[in-house]
Amino acid sequence: MAPTRRVTNLALLVSIGLVLSIIESTFPPLLPVPGAKLGLANIATVIALYVFGTGMALEVTVIRCILGGLLRGSVIGLFLSLSAGLTSTLVMILLFVLADRFISVIGVSVVGAAVHNAAQLAAAYLLIRNTALFYYLPYLMIIAVPTGLFVGFASRRVALSLEGLSLA
Amino acid sequence: MRAGDLVIVALVLAAAIGSTILVSQAHAGEKGSLAIVEVNGHEVRRVSMGDSQAARTFTVEGWQGSSTFEVKGGRVRMTKSACRDKICIGMGWMDTSGRSIICLPNRVVIRITGNRKSGGVDTVTE
Repeated sequence: MAPTRRVTNLALLVSIGLVLSIIESTFPPLLPVPGAKLGLANIATVIALYVFGTGMALEVTVIRCILGGLLRGSVIGLFLSLSAGLTSTLVMILLFVLADRFISVIGVSVVGAAVHNAAQLAAAYLLIRNTALFYYLPYLMIIAVPTGLFVGFASRRVALSLEGLSLA
Repeated sequence: MRAGDLVIVALVLAAAIGSTILVSQAHAGEKGSLAIVEVNGHEVRRVSMGDSQAARTFTVEGWQGSSTFEVKGGRVRMTKSACRDKICIGMGWMDTSGRSIICLPNRVVIRITGNRKSGGVDTVTE
């Protein structure tokens, strides 16, 4: 891939992720539980993984989390989203590389959502040091299934449309 | 959708059920007698929770502003908070020992401890 094309695609994916998370922040919370979000921004990471490859997925996640944290002006938010985003992206990459024959984009996205929620809870625990936080774990695991499925189906739809184009 | 996807969904649901069991066994659901209020991990206030039906309200300063909570009839709830999503207020009344009302944005935690058995003795001395 020519460097200019790569940078442009990366920038596009990062901005898709940022715009999706801004749109999502206007929605009311799904459950009265912190961290129970739809996770629309993960669509950008999943598309990057399936259309452009593992390196692109990692770059999109890291840049999106840092820029998103700076835009929101919250250092705590940056720490929470970067640690959770990085962990879930690494696990999704691992599944994509090792088990692509058995698991489609849908399963990878559900795992990404579940790992993201669990990692964010662990990161919040590092900040607040209260084991009562883990009361949220069951809710966060349950909510990861529908949100992960939604993100997975949305990403698959986009990836199908992108297939015919010569992006790389 | 492949077979592995269904396995993944089943595994995540199993994790949800497993964590529910773990969490519910950690605290058997006794009524608490004391609310400990922490801001950013440091205790700032202790409020005893008796059977009194008279409402008492308290305000603590959190990370983003003030948080007001109400203690009444052995229960506690958040009534006002400077945070954005008001998830802490949405958690409603809480009376179970070991559970907490947590406001992550404002870094305020109201932790319920102790054990209050109605009609029982407070303490026994020898």
